[in-house]
Amino acid sequence: MPDDRAGETTECAVNRVRRNPIFLLPVCAAFSFVFFGLLVSGCGREKGVRLTFWQFWPSEVIEPIIEEFEKANPGVDVEMQQLTWQNGFEKIVASVSSGTQPDLCELGSTWVPRFAADGVLGDVTGEVGALKDSLLFWESCSLNGRVYGIPWVAGTRALFYNKELFEKAGLNPDSPPETWEELIECARKIHSPGNGVYGFGMNAGERYILFKKFMPFAWGNGGKILNQDLSRSEFASGENLEALVFYCSLKKYSLVEKQDVLDMAFKQGKIGLEISGGWNLKTIPADAPDLKFGVAVVPKPKACCGTHASFAGSEILVTFVKSGHQKEALKLARFLVEKQNVISLCRSAKSVQPIFRGAQNDPYYDANPLEKMFVVQLSTAVAPPPHPKWPEIEEIIESTVEEVTYGTRKPEEALLEADNKINSIVSSTGD
Amino acid sequence: MHKTRSTLIFLSPWLVSFAVFWAFPLIFSLVLSFLHFNPLRPDTTHVVWLSNFVKALQDPLFWKSLKNTLLFVAGTVPVTTLVAFFLAVAINQRIPFRTLYRSGFFIPSIVSVVVISIIFKQLYSPFGLVNKLAELLGSEPRSWLSEPRTALLCIMAMDVWASFGYYTILFLAGLQAIPLEVYEAARIDGSGFWGTLRFVTIPMVRPITLFIVVINTIRSFQVFIEIFVMTRGGPLNSTLTSVFYLYDRAFYRFEMGYASALAYLLFVVILCFSLVQMKYLKMGRAAGE
Repeated sequence: MPDDRAGETTECAVNRVRRNPIFLLPVCAAFSFVFFGLLVSGCGREKGVRLTFWQFWPSEVIEPIIEEFEKANPGVDVEMQQLTWQNGFEKIVASVSSGTQPDLCELGSTWVPRFAADGVLGDVTGEVGALKDSLLFWESCSLNGRVYGIPWVAGTRALFYNKELFEKAGLNPDSPPETWEELIECARKIHSPGNGVYGFGMNAGERYILFKKFMPFAWGNGGKILNQDLSRSEFASGENLEALVFYCSLKKYSLVEKQDVLDMAFKQGKIGLEISGGWNLKTIPADAPDLKFGVAVVPKPKACCGTHASFAGSEILVTFVKSGHQKEALKLARFLVEKQNVISLCRSAKSVQPIFRGAQNDPYYDANPLEKMFVVQLSTAVAPPPHPKWPEIEEIIESTVEEVTYGTRKPEEALLEADNKINSIVSSTGD
Repeated sequence: MHKTRSTLIFLSPWLVSFAVFWAFPLIFSLVLSFLHFNPLRPDTTHVVWLSNFVKALQDPLFWKSLKNTLLFVAGTVPVTTLVAFFLAVAINQRIPFRTLYRSGFFIPSIVSVVVISIIFKQLYSPFGLVNKLAELLGSEPRSWLSEPRTALLCIMAMDVWASFGYYTILFLAGLQAIPLEVYEAARIDGSGFWGTLRFVTIPMVRPITLFIVVINTIRSFQVFIEIFVMTRGGPLNSTLTSVFYLYDRAFYRFEMGYASALAYLLFVVILCFSLVQMKYLKMGRAAGE
């Protein structure tokens, strides 16, 4: 009897499935999940280590270097992912927060202190001894004496000038301005908005960029943002005030716009001078092959004093505390920062420069004087203070410069207020 | 029972994605708004009760962003609705190339907002077409998006251009649902074009108008991509909108709790607006019927 009933139930179920094949769907789904699961885990179970590496460069630039590494290290398989500047940062934050972070990751130098202070970056102090002497920019990846990453490449900003406009304005196209006074003089002579030509390209109305354009003048004048041990603001100094007043005085002879608009205008021959990045060396030959232009270091305050300072931002290779393969990740990092690999990245990217000592003597740069200028500029460039709350400090600097540029605040009071705000940020502990 | 189960199975793709991608984040962010939560340091998470909300109400940038957002809504919604309505009335007539107009107006709606924003950034640049036009009219060339006074206006104008086509098509559907007999009756009664428009067309499309106004208001309150691509809130915070501000707080300052509180405050504002709109427009509809 029980058997019969069992048979009846089975028959009933079969009939039901026959009538309504939808019941098969979950079964099929379950099978396919199991199948794909096995397939995926099978792939991962190859012998050796699978290393995940997230970075921001186009894959055609990095892929060859990675292939070299894999050839030299047979047991290691590198899975590279390209992040975009638009949303890569959010992706890193989300992955760290959810515990799915990569083994090795490229991080902009201004973010390293924040991540380090939150205790998510692997401490590599004991691993980088041998590299310490050959690379620069260690301060950007250090916090309280510990090192949390390996500097890879760096980017800076230099002065681009249009030689044709220089000639038209009666200026010598082979002697770019050396001092602030010469800079404003060149801008004044070139400036002719009636003819659609502007002396200088001045940044405004854009975050994350403006401080990179203003601080070169402040740093060059001996100004600072924070004191030596990053505990107090020094932003309201006389040096910074002079720089701010000078920067704003350029407005009279400037096109005030965003970076991409300025770069475009420069390519169209509508701007005499602008401070911009190495990416232009890649795009100008493609977009405006006939443009006659030169690159020079950012002018310093006076011939007698000050420095040709500029902004220096570096790309740092970091590992995370929770990353699985620290040892292999560091091996890859050391391989990436080797001289020939760095040069090959810089050659194809152009927007960044190598940061090993003596890079400007590399034969590649002798053959490419414009790119060499960026390496030279880098030697006097300044990195923002490695404070964990840098993004907030940066925002204050930018709104201050913006307010003064647009004339809504007087330079003195704007600097004082910024000074107070920065002090309250650096003095507050934790977040 | 049998039927319910198969219905559930058929609905399950939607139900699962709704639960995972809508319901969960919605509840999670509500919980977050009462917490201090740094995504990099989940270990420091602690309950702060209402202090995120109190902080928001005392934050001048929150009020600035809300003011900008309200300006954006007040500027774009009425203009878009009016333009869409009159265009719909126009292309509902028997005019040559009617289909061409219909698809032409709709084209901006199928283009990504990012693409539109990049194009308009060029149009508004000092050497762009907008300045060429301004010059023809005898005006000085200017940097439209770099001036605090014009930046938000420019983005509003772009938004109207980008969205009216979609609402035109909705209005058109509403207009075509009106029975011809009503128009005939109006004509026999001696009603002219404007009279018919006022006493027949507008009351008859009221439900679709309600839908358009509510949807467009909600969408405009959430304006983000345009700001992200074109100005990032600048210059001088003149284009800082609520959603952009909360995004900035969440992902650049790691203040997820505070950002969630901002999101819920915005939710309350949108809810109030929608309730008022629905009440007002529904009442009107009852009177019209």
